[in-house]
Amino acid sequence: MTSAWLMMTSSALLAQTGAPAAMAGPTLAHYLFVSAAMFALGLIGFLTRRNLIIMFLSTELMFQAAGIALIAFSRFHLNHTGETFVIFVLTIAAAEAAMALALVVLLFRRRESLDAQQWDEMSG
Amino acid sequence: MQVTLIDLATSSVAAALAAETPAAAASGTPGAGARLMLIVPVLTLLGTVLCGLCAALRVKSKLPAWTTVALLAGSFAAVAATFSRGEGVLSPVIAHGFEWISIAWGGWGSGGLGHGITANFSFYVDSLTLLWMLFVTGLATLIALYASEYMSHDAGTGYCRFFAGFNLFVFSMSCLVMADNLVLLYLGWEGVGLCSYLLIGYFYKKPSAVAAAKKAFIVNRIGDLGLALGIFLIYVQFGSVEYATVFEAARPYIDSFRSGDFAAIPAAVQLIPILLMVGAFGKSAQLPLYVWLPDAMEGPTPVSALIHAATMVTAGVYLIARTYPLFLCSEHALPVVAWVGTLTALLAATIGMAQFDIKRIMAYSTVSQLGYMFAGLGALTSVGAAFHVLTHAFFKALLFLCCGAVMHGFAGQLDLRRLSGLIRVPGWKVVGVGMLIGCANLAGFPFTAGFFSKDMILAEAFVTPGMAPIGWLLLLTAGLTAYYTFRVFFRVFVGPVSFEPGDEVHSHAHDEAHTHGHSSDHANTHDQAPAHASTAHGHFHPHAPGWAINTVLVILSGLSIAAAGLYFMGPHGGWVASMIHHSSADLPAAIGEHPSHGSFLGMDPHKVMYYVSAVVGFAGIAAAFILHYAGRTSAATSRRADTLSDRLGVIARAARAKWYVDEVYDYLIRTPLWVLSHVFHLVDKLIVDGLVDLFGWLPRAFGRSIRPSQSGVLHGYAVGMAGGLAVILLIVLLVAW
Amino acid sequence: MAESILILLILLPLAFAAFTSWMPRRHAPTVALLGTSIALVLGVYAAFIFDWNITGRYQFENTVEWLPALGISLKVGVDGVSMLLLLLTLLLGPVCVLASLTAITDRVRTYYAWLLVLQAAMTGVFVARDLILFYTCFEFTLIPMYILISLFGSTNRRKAAIKFFLYTFTGSIIALAGLVYVAWHASEHAVSGGWTFDLDRLMIAAADLPPSAQGWVLAALLLGFAVKVPLFPLHTWLPLAHTEAPTAGSVILAGVLLKLGTYGIYRLAIPFVPAAFAEFAPYLAALSIVGIVYGGLICWVQTDIKKLVAYSSVAHLGFCVLGMTAGNEIGLSGSVLYMINHGLSTGALFLLIGMVYERYHTRDMGQLGGLAAKMPVWSTFMVFFVMSSVGLPGLNGFISEFMCLLGAFQSADGWGMGLWGSAAPEGVFLPGSTPGLLGPWYAALAGVGMIVAAIYLLQLTGKVVWGPLVEPAGHGDGAHHGHQHTAHEAGHDAPGAHNTLHPASPSPAGNQQRHSNLPADLNAREIGILVPLAALCLFLGVYPKPSLVAISGSVKQTAAIMREAGVFSKRPATLPPAEQPTPVEATPSAPREAQSGAQAAAKPSEAPPGAVTLSGHGGMSR
Repeated sequence: MTSAWLMMTSSALLAQTGAPAAMAGPTLAHYLFVSAAMFALGLIGFLTRRNLIIMFLSTELMFQAAGIALIAFSRFHLNHTGETFVIFVLTIAAAEAAMALALVVLLFRRRESLDAQQWDEMSG
Repeated sequence: MQVTLIDLATSSVAAALAAETPAAAASGTPGAGARLMLIVPVLTLLGTVLCGLCAALRVKSKLPAWTTVALLAGSFAAVAATFSRGEGVLSPVIAHGFEWISIAWGGWGSGGLGHGITANFSFYVDSLTLLWMLFVTGLATLIALYASEYMSHDAGTGYCRFFAGFNLFVFSMSCLVMADNLVLLYLGWEGVGLCSYLLIGYFYKKPSAVAAAKKAFIVNRIGDLGLALGIFLIYVQFGSVEYATVFEAARPYIDSFRSGDFAAIPAAVQLIPILLMVGAFGKSAQLPLYVWLPDAMEGPTPVSALIHAATMVTAGVYLIARTYPLFLCSEHALPVVAWVGTLTALLAATIGMAQFDIKRIMAYSTVSQLGYMFAGLGALTSVGAAFHVLTHAFFKALLFLCCGAVMHGFAGQLDLRRLSGLIRVPGWKVVGVGMLIGCANLAGFPFTAGFFSKDMILAEAFVTPGMAPIGWLLLLTAGLTAYYTFRVFFRVFVGPVSFEPGDEVHSHAHDEAHTHGHSSDHANTHDQAPAHASTAHGHFHPHAPGWAINTVLVILSGLSIAAAGLYFMGPHGGWVASMIHHSSADLPAAIGEHPSHGSFLGMDPHKVMYYVSAVVGFAGIAAAFILHYAGRTSAATSRRADTLSDRLGVIARAARAKWYVDEVYDYLIRTPLWVLSHVFHLVDKLIVDGLVDLFGWLPRAFGRSIRPSQSGVLHGYAVGMAGGLAVILLIVLLVAW
Repeated sequence: MAESILILLILLPLAFAAFTSWMPRRHAPTVALLGTSIALVLGVYAAFIFDWNITGRYQFENTVEWLPALGISLKVGVDGVSMLLLLLTLLLGPVCVLASLTAITDRVRTYYAWLLVLQAAMTGVFVARDLILFYTCFEFTLIPMYILISLFGSTNRRKAAIKFFLYTFTGSIIALAGLVYVAWHASEHAVSGGWTFDLDRLMIAAADLPPSAQGWVLAALLLGFAVKVPLFPLHTWLPLAHTEAPTAGSVILAGVLLKLGTYGIYRLAIPFVPAAFAEFAPYLAALSIVGIVYGGLICWVQTDIKKLVAYSSVAHLGFCVLGMTAGNEIGLSGSVLYMINHGLSTGALFLLIGMVYERYHTRDMGQLGGLAAKMPVWSTFMVFFVMSSVGLPGLNGFISEFMCLLGAFQSADGWGMGLWGSAAPEGVFLPGSTPGLLGPWYAALAGVGMIVAAIYLLQLTGKVVWGPLVEPAGHGDGAHHGHQHTAHEAGHDAPGAHNTLHPASPSPAGNQQRHSNLPADLNAREIGILVPLAALCLFLGVYPKPSLVAISGSVKQTAAIMREAGVFSKRPATLPPAEQPTPVEATPSAPREAQSGAQAAAKPSEAPPGAVTLSGHGGMSR
C-alpha cells in the first residue's frame, strides 16, 4: 500500500517538473524517480521481511536511494555539496555495514536465528 | 519603692566588705549583701556538679549527702547573714550577677520603644525574698540531713543522683525567689519543675513514678504557658520585665484601684494578673491544675517534704505576693484568686478525708492549705498568706518527714489501716511526738503556729468586703482539716499496737519494688488483713529511725512550735507582717484599711476568730477521736467509721476516688487529644503526604498509559517511522497545493 | 588570609573529599576527620579575627571573577548571622565523622567523600554573597545528601532519597524562577546595565519591584524555602528522610540543611520583598503555628524514635518561622538563635538515637525502655538534650523560643488587633509593642506548642529512658549481639565490603562481631562527641549575650527593612517618621533608662500611664 502511494507521488512529481518529452538526456525528475523507486523498494523490503540481513540490505538500498537523490540535486544545481555529502555517506555506510553485520552475527549467535521478531528487549 | 543599686565604686560599705575577699573585689561584684546572696546559687550549683562528679566516680559513701548538707548550710548562713546585716530588709537591693538576656538594638522612631530587653542574672533582695530564702535554705539543709539517712539504702549512683537533683532544686528555687526580673523567675520556675520531674521520677523503674513525673511536668507546663503570656503582656505593657521598672510603671493603676476607678485601667493591664495566676495555680496545685501534686508523692519522701510541701509549691503564692502591685491593678484578679483558693481548699479536704494512704492524705492537705494561702492573698492579707506559708513549711515538712520515717521503718507501708499504735513501739517516740505537733499545727489547735496563721486568713476573709462566703467555706474546711489530720494520728500512732510491713520488706534496693498499697482494691481485701498482719508481724522488725532523722524531726518540731512566737514579735501581725510591709507584697495604705470593717455575726472578726476557729478545730478533732480512736479494736477496723462510710455510700466512694477528677480529665482532655493526634497522623500520612505522592504518581501514570506503544519489535518502529514519513509528506503535499 | 579564608573553607573540604576517595579505604575516616577538623580550626580562627563590633556588616568579603559577562562572580562574605551558622556547620563536620566511625563500614570512601562535599556546599550557602553561588551551593547540598541517604540509609532508603530529592528540588526550581525574576528586574533597571547577581546590588534593585510582582516573587521564594524548612503542608519528606538517613545524615539534615530554608527566607525573601513578606506574615505565622501544634501532636503518637524527633523538627522550625514573621528585633533574634539552637539540640538527639541504634538495631519505642538502668551516661545526655529541646530555661532552647514567642506577641500595633482595644487607643504605642500584624493570639496559640513539646518529649524519655528495662530480643545480658539484625545488615549492596574497619578479621564471623567494641553504655568517643554540644547548649542558655550581640547588627537591619516596607499596619500613621519630633525623645542607650524616660515624658500628656503617645503621621507608608 505504501509503495503504491509512493509511486503515485513520484509520478505526480514528474508531472510537476515537466516530463522530458523532447530532451534527449535524463532530467532531474528521472533521477529522482529512480531514487524514489529505490527508496520505496528498500522501505517495502524493510517492512515486510523479518530476516535481519535482508532488512539490513533494505536499509542500504534506502541509503543509496537518498545518495542518488543528493547527487542528482548536486548535478542539476551545479553545487558540489551533495556529492561531498554522498562521499561521506558512503564512507560511513561502509563502516556502518561492518558494524551492523558484526552485530547481526552476534545476535545470531545468541538466538541461533536471524528473525527480527525474536528481539523485543526494548518493550516498554 | 526605692531601689538601691549598690555600686562597688561608690559604696564604701561594699568596698570595705569586698576587702574580705579580694576575688570578689576583683570581679567587681556589687554590694555586700548582694555578694552574699549570689553565693547561694553558686554553692548549690557547685553541689550539683560535685554530686554529678561523685556519680561519675562511682562514690559509694555518703559523701554527696554531707557535701550537700554543708553547702546548703552555707547557703542558709549567707542568707541569714544578709538578713542580720539588714541588707534589703527595709528597701530592695539589687545584686547584679551577670548579663543574661540583655540586648538593646537602639531606638527607631521615638527611641527605646520595644528595642531592647533586659533580663539579667540579678537578684532583687527585699524582705519578701529574705523571708522565703530563709525558710527555703533552712529547710533544705534539714531535709538534706534527713535524706542522708533516708536514702542510705540507695548509696551509689542513685544517692548521687538524688542529691544532685536536690541541689539543683535549691538553685532553681533561689533563682525563682531572688530574681530581679520575671524571665529569671521563669528560669527558676521551670527549673524547679525540672527538679520536681527528676525527683518524682527518682524510682524510674516504677511506671507509676514515671507517669507521675510526666504528669507533674506537663500540668506545670500548662501553668507555665500562662505565666509566660503574662510576662509577655507585662513586657508589652510596661516595656520591661524587671520588677523595679514594672512596679513603678504600675503605680498609677494602683491609684486608680484605690479610688475605685477601674475604667481607667486598660483591659490588658487587668489581664496580666489573670495570666500570672494561671502559672501560680499550676505550680501551687490549685484548681483546676492540682491533679499532679497527689501523684507527685511517688517521689522519695524528703522530696515530697521539701519540694511538694514546703517550698516549691509555695512558689505560686510567692509569685502573687511578689507581683502584688499588678494584682492590685485588676478588678477581678484577687477575688478570682480567693475563690479558686477556697474551692481548692474545700475540695482537697474532702478528698483527703477519704484516703487511706497517709502520704497522700498529707498531699491533699498540702493542696488544701495552699488553697488557704491563695484565699489569704485574695482576701487582701498577703501577711496572713505569707505567715501561713512559713508555718505550713515547718509543720508540713515535719508531717511528711514523720510519714517518711514510718515508710522507711515499715518497708514502705503507708496504709493507715495496717498501722496502729506506733508511738508505743520502741524507738518511735520522737516520730510520734513530732507527728502530734505537726497534726496539732495543721488542725489549727489553739496556740500553735498553724492556729495563728490560719486565723489571720479566716479573720481577714470576714473583714474584706464581699468575701464572707469565702470565710464560711474556709471555716468549714478548717473543721474538715482537723478531722482528717487527727484521723491519721489516731489511727496510726495511738490505739492498739499492730502493724504489717509494706512490700519492700524483702527488697533492700528501694527502687526494685517500691509499690506501696494505697489503691482502692485494698479496701476490698482488708478483712483478711489482721490474719495476714499477725503472720507478717512474727518476723518483721521495723527499724527505728536513726540519729539523723530523729535530730531533724526534733529540730522541725521545735521550729513548728517556735513559729507561733513570730506572731508576737513586733507590732500588729508579728514578724512576718513587718517583713511583708517592706516588700512589694505590701498593701498600699489606703487599700489595707477598709472603710467599714466586715463582721462575723456582728462581732469583730479579728477578735472572735480565735475562739471560733478553736471551736471548729476541736470539733474536727473530736470527730476523729470518736470515729477512729474510741472503740477501735485493730489497725484495720474502726466500727463507727466503717459504718459511717457505708452509710454515705456513693459519696464516700466518690471521695475515695478523688471525685473522679483524674478520670474526667482523662476523658475530656487527654483522650480527645490522643484521638486527635492519631487523626492528624492519619491525615498527614494519607492526605498531606498523599497529595505529594499524587503529584509524583501523575507523570508516572501518564508514562504507564502510553507505555504499550513501545512494543520493542523492530517492525513496529519501522511502520511507525514509515507512517510518520507518509504523514509528513502528505502535509507537505497538501500545503504545496 | 583574611580575605581568602571563606573560599578556603569551601575548597578545603572539596580537596579532602578528593583525597578521601583516593586514599586506601582504612584511611578514609582519618582523612575526613582531618579535613573537617582543619576546617573547624579555620572557622574558629575566622571567628577570632572577625570584628564582632560590626556584626551587621559583611566581613572577609572577597570576589573572584567567574562569568563576568553574565555578572556572576564568586563573591563571599559573612556577617554575624552567617558566621554563627557557619560555625555550627563546621562544628557538626567532625562530629558527624566521629559519629560514623563504627556505623558506616561499607563504601567508606564514598561515604566520607560525599560527607565532605556536603560540608563544602553548606559552607558555600552561608558565605555566598552572589545569588548564583548561593543557589548553586543550595542545590548542590541535595546530591551528597541523596547519596548519603540512598546508599547508607536503612530499609526504605531509596524511596526516601528520591522523595527528598524530588520534593526539595521541585521547590528550589520554583524558587529559582523567583530569584531569576529579581535578577532580571535588576538588570532591566540597573543604571550600569547588564546582569548582576551580586546580592547587595540585587537588594537595592529589588526595592522598586512592583507590588504585584512582589507577591509572586515571595510565593516562588517561599515555595522553595518552605519545603526546605519545612513549613506545615510541605513537610512530609522530612520524617521519611530523617528516618531512613544514616545518623550523620540526620544530624546534618536537622542541624544545617533545614536551616538553609530559614536562612534563605532571612537572607533573600525578606530583603528582596519585605513589603510582601510583611503583608503575608500572618498567613505564614498561621502555617507555622499549625505546624507547631500539628507536628507536635503527631510526635506524640509516633513509635519510631527517629520519626518522633523528625516531626519535632517540624514543630520547632515552626517557632523559627513564627519569630521571623514577627518582623521585630526580638522575634528575628529568636528566630536566628533558634536555627543555631535547634541544630545543636536536635542534632545531638539524632546522635543519641544513632548510638542506641548501633547497639540495639531498632528505633521502635516498644522494643526499648528503661535504658537508664543500663546506659546511665546515655540517659543523662538524653534527658539533657530533651530538656534543651523542650525549652527549659537555662539551656539554649529557651532563649530562642521565648524570644520568638515574645516577638510574635508584641508584633501588633494598635495593640492586640482590636482584641483588647482599650489597651492602645489609636496612635498610642505601648512601650513594648512593635508594628506588625501578629499579636497575642499568635503567641498564645504557638505557646500551646510548648505544652505539646513537653508531652511528646517526656513521652519519649518516659518510654525509652525511664521505666522498666526493655531490650529487643537477643540483647539481654550476656547476649549482647543479636542475630536478627545481622541478616538485615548483610543485605547491603556490597557484600564484599564488610569488615573494612577490621581488616584483621575478614571472616564472615567478623560481621557479627562488628559492634563488639561498643560497650553497653557510651564509650569515650561518643561522650567526646556529645560533650561539646552539651557545653554549647549550656553556654548559650546561661550566657546568650555574646550570641545575641553577634546577630544584633544583622537583625536590626532586617527589622528595619521590614518596618520601612511599611505595610505592617492596615492603618496609616502609627509610626512617626524619624525626623519628626515626638513627645518622647528619649534616646539613651540603656533600654531601662529609656523606658523610665518614656514614662516620665508620657505623664504630662493625657495618655494612660505606661503608654506613650505618638503623634506622627504617615511614617509607615513609602
